[in-house]
Amino acid sequence: MFALPQKESKAPTTCPGPASTQDLDSNHGDGLERECSRKPDWKLPEFCGVGDPTATASSDSSHLSSRGSIIKWFWDSAEEGYRTYHMDEYDEDKNPSGIINMGTSENKLCFDLLSRRVSPGAPLEMLPSLVQCPGWRGHCSLREEVARFLSFYCKSPAPLKPENVVVLNGCASLFSALATVLCEVGEAFLIPAPYYGAITQHVYLYGGVQLVCVYLDSEVTGLDTRPFQLTVEKLEMALQRANFEGVKVKGLILINPQNPLGDIYSPGELRDYLEFAKRHKLHVMVDEVYMLSVFEKSAGYHSVLSLEGLPDPQRTHVMWATSKDFGMSGLRFGTLYTENRDVATAVASLCRYHGLSGLVQYQMAQLLRDHDWINQVYLPENHARLKAAHTYVAGELRALGIPFLGRGAGFFIWVDLRKYLPEATFKEEMLLWRRFLDNKVLLSCGKAFQCKEPGWFRLVFSDKAHRLCLGMQRVRQVLEGKSQVPDDPASCQSQESGNQRSGGETPPAVL
Amino acid sequence: MSHRLGTFRMPSAQMRGQGLRNQRIHTHLMEMMLHLKQTIEKNLMHLTTRHLQQDLVLEEQRHSQAASEQEALLGRLMYQLVNLLQSGAMGGLGLQPSCPSLDVRRDVRGGQWAQSSRQPDWPVHQLSDLEATFVSQHLSSRGIDISALYHSSFQDYKIYQRDKYHEDKNTMGFINLGLSENKLCLDLMTERLSQSDMNYIEDALLQYPDWRGQPFLREEVARFLTYYCKVPDQLDPENVVVLNGCSSVFSTLAMVLCDPGEAFLIPAPFYGGFAFSACLYSKVELILVHLDSEVTDANPHPFQLTVDKLEQALLEARLTGKKVRGLILINPQNPLGDVYSRDSLQEYLEFAKKYHLHVIIDEIYMLSVFDEFITFHSVLSMESLPDPSRTHVIWGTSKDFGISGFRFGVLYTHNREVASAVSSFGYLHGISGIAQHKLCRLLQDREWIDKVYLPTYRSRLQIAHGYMTKKLEALGIPFLNRGSGLYIWMNLKMYLDPCTFEEELLLHRRFLDNKLILSRGRTYMCKEPGWFRITFADKPLLLKQAMHRFYQVLSEQKQDLIMKQLENAQRE
Repeated sequence: MFALPQKESKAPTTCPGPASTQDLDSNHGDGLERECSRKPDWKLPEFCGVGDPTATASSDSSHLSSRGSIIKWFWDSAEEGYRTYHMDEYDEDKNPSGIINMGTSENKLCFDLLSRRVSPGAPLEMLPSLVQCPGWRGHCSLREEVARFLSFYCKSPAPLKPENVVVLNGCASLFSALATVLCEVGEAFLIPAPYYGAITQHVYLYGGVQLVCVYLDSEVTGLDTRPFQLTVEKLEMALQRANFEGVKVKGLILINPQNPLGDIYSPGELRDYLEFAKRHKLHVMVDEVYMLSVFEKSAGYHSVLSLEGLPDPQRTHVMWATSKDFGMSGLRFGTLYTENRDVATAVASLCRYHGLSGLVQYQMAQLLRDHDWINQVYLPENHARLKAAHTYVAGELRALGIPFLGRGAGFFIWVDLRKYLPEATFKEEMLLWRRFLDNKVLLSCGKAFQCKEPGWFRLVFSDKAHRLCLGMQRVRQVLEGKSQVPDDPASCQSQESGNQRSGGETPPAVL
Repeated sequence: MSHRLGTFRMPSAQMRGQGLRNQRIHTHLMEMMLHLKQTIEKNLMHLTTRHLQQDLVLEEQRHSQAASEQEALLGRLMYQLVNLLQSGAMGGLGLQPSCPSLDVRRDVRGGQWAQSSRQPDWPVHQLSDLEATFVSQHLSSRGIDISALYHSSFQDYKIYQRDKYHEDKNTMGFINLGLSENKLCLDLMTERLSQSDMNYIEDALLQYPDWRGQPFLREEVARFLTYYCKVPDQLDPENVVVLNGCSSVFSTLAMVLCDPGEAFLIPAPFYGGFAFSACLYSKVELILVHLDSEVTDANPHPFQLTVDKLEQALLEARLTGKKVRGLILINPQNPLGDVYSRDSLQEYLEFAKKYHLHVIIDEIYMLSVFDEFITFHSVLSMESLPDPSRTHVIWGTSKDFGISGFRFGVLYTHNREVASAVSSFGYLHGISGIAQHKLCRLLQDREWIDKVYLPTYRSRLQIAHGYMTKKLEALGIPFLNRGSGLYIWMNLKMYLDPCTFEEELLLHRRFLDNKLILSRGRTYMCKEPGWFRITFADKPLLLKQAMHRFYQVLSEQKQDLIMKQLENAQRE
């Protein structure tokens, strides 16, 4: 029932493996492949090899269904890096030699501002309506607030409508719900790769939908002006290839600002991609979860909702959440904006399974309403802190002579460590990733983002100064082959001042 | 499909005469047939396997298809054979026509869930004709089904949302006694929730959580369940998975325990949400174990669940080629309000073990047992579970604490494999860290729960239940007088003429016309028309108003019945 691509060599345009939840670790498709071949009753697409049918009888020791085993595989593989990290989390006082997490894309720079802002609970008189059965697509007042918020921050030409808003518990659920209501099982979405790998899992678990990668190159060729540039030509080719292989593509996923590249699409580019989608009657899901995390003013971000006259408004669906822009990934709040009523209704029909607490809905509405605080306090401070952290890490990387992409948006830098791989293979990439982990710093490797070139890593910089500094020190140790040196927090201090002297880069002054 | 199920079901009148002995005979007979079928299946499997090894992929698909067709044909033949044998065993009654109620197309929702396995992957297409107007060029076919199913299932709820009763502002609005919500203790809950320990925020609550639920909450849930379920040994937090609601827990269990088209057994009538969840995402079928209202030797209590009934339903389903993976139990039962005795529970679990079935047991009303003479036995309280690795318990705060808006559901399973697989869905069913903190504080406050909340809650339930039962008695309406849950299961058959599901629906609409929402037996897959569930966990004033409307509708209905009978008599 779920069409899972199996052999990479046979299906080069499809993504075999998932990236883990929170893209903490690197995954290989092999595990999933094994699962598939162990379960011959699992319907695989035509181009897949046939498993060993006799294995059916021997596999009934498991309590899980065939799909259950594959579903479990996602959890187990995600656990790898995550579990190691959680068993040994860095803590300044209690566990200074613990693992520094530079793999999870979370903004840890503004908890001080947020915890002061979010904490007041709902007033007593509001509680009864909030603790009882909610309207499934989100409380009315919250949807109104979301519409106002997006109209303002996305600079939409006309006010957005609350009835086009659906609220649920995070963008993961949105991907899942959209995949389910837009595609049949085995159909596919196009996605430019490298991309935020967890989407594979989101669209697959319930939806049984696969992703067809539009592979981007680091090398700048032809008319490209930058590495990993997405062009309509590449989109066309990937689509053609998928069609040729009999994979039915129903939509295109765009992440803007892009994760992990930090790329921002210009209005012209956006329009080109949307026109391409319109020509092929593809839905476009635009994930704008980092839209307010553009800390470089000159980057000039444009939401798809700011475009005058969308090419195909009925097939354009925008996602946003507070996870990144408000640094609250644990709050589980995500929202869909679509002019397509059928899609909104269908997604809302699934909200019974993806609802969020009424009390949290109230707190969200309160937060989003406060444009003054957001404009005058939160955003300026958040951007300043992000920029300082970015500047520091970029300086460190420059000092090490490491090429990287970082374009003033998001929480991460896309780092080229190809020269540290003895061989350009994902096996070597994995080994390097493990060396980082062994040296107590967790990064995400390119494989987790379906990058086709081995050796790229995503490095998250949105953390407090001392952790960032220690993390970078451990990264450097690994790259300079000195990873055996035991960690000494004191040396970090001297390192920090050393950096200030040598590179002139100041570590971010954050709380 | 409905007919296939239907032919098997012995009309209750004949069943009664036969007693238990014949049931045993025919169970044995069916077991034999099942064995026979399995042997043949194995042979077919060998054939298929050989083909697989020899031939190309395409070839293989053709053959396996042919094989499965052959298998289906064989299944049908066997089926007819068993039918014949069965009727012989039952004393030569001959082949019974299907239950009249199951003949009506709209009434076979049970049948709709139970689809043939040869159907395509997403077998709910027929559902869209419930609301044939819902078409969209943009949605996938399952997207259309999901929307249609949602619309048809929540129609009443939507009209209620638009026009709610309010004692001052909207006295003409809808009163909803169809939804099982506990509105008796909102005052206590809001007071507790507004205490200062609730409003707490720290970094960890705002960051990516452990997708199984925050460790502090899982630990508290384990302690809470250990205490309130009277578990012999301390429960392990590692066996707890926390998701945003019990529907989500069930949905994920269905995903990881069944492949599409496989099935769960469930005694009917049952909470309709299971049917909704089974079909929405997981495409799992429900095989109904129909229970009878009439009391007989074989059925000492109305709607009593027995192992014989379970066994019969299971074997029947297997003979039709269904792969049954588990059994769903609701305890305290919704809508019946039954609480299973320890012995019954043990029997059901032993039955499941015998057939290697998972048991999903929903104990969401476990603290809502208000009759002090009734003891609730959680499945977790058993000294030794017959099959711990196949026993999965669901609980949530929606009913017992009346906070369905919190979206909180718990899975407790000894099976780590199942817990891990369900955890993969954590991302899609996560709860806010802020809410997790509040829930943890709430569950922690044993003092308040034991001394304030539960005594008040139960005494209010008792009073409301007493009021409602007295009203029903006065109207001469038969009902199940149980001491648990937030609702009463009552029989309005005498207001239906003829006693059909069409008439049941018309009566339901009549209640709606009078701004009263109840839920009718059809939505619980009850096989007998005329049953309704009425919620009593609401404020006295509202109940009074509701019962007034209830009385009015029934009076009108009675008048109409008399008129109708008169007309009929005159025509004759």
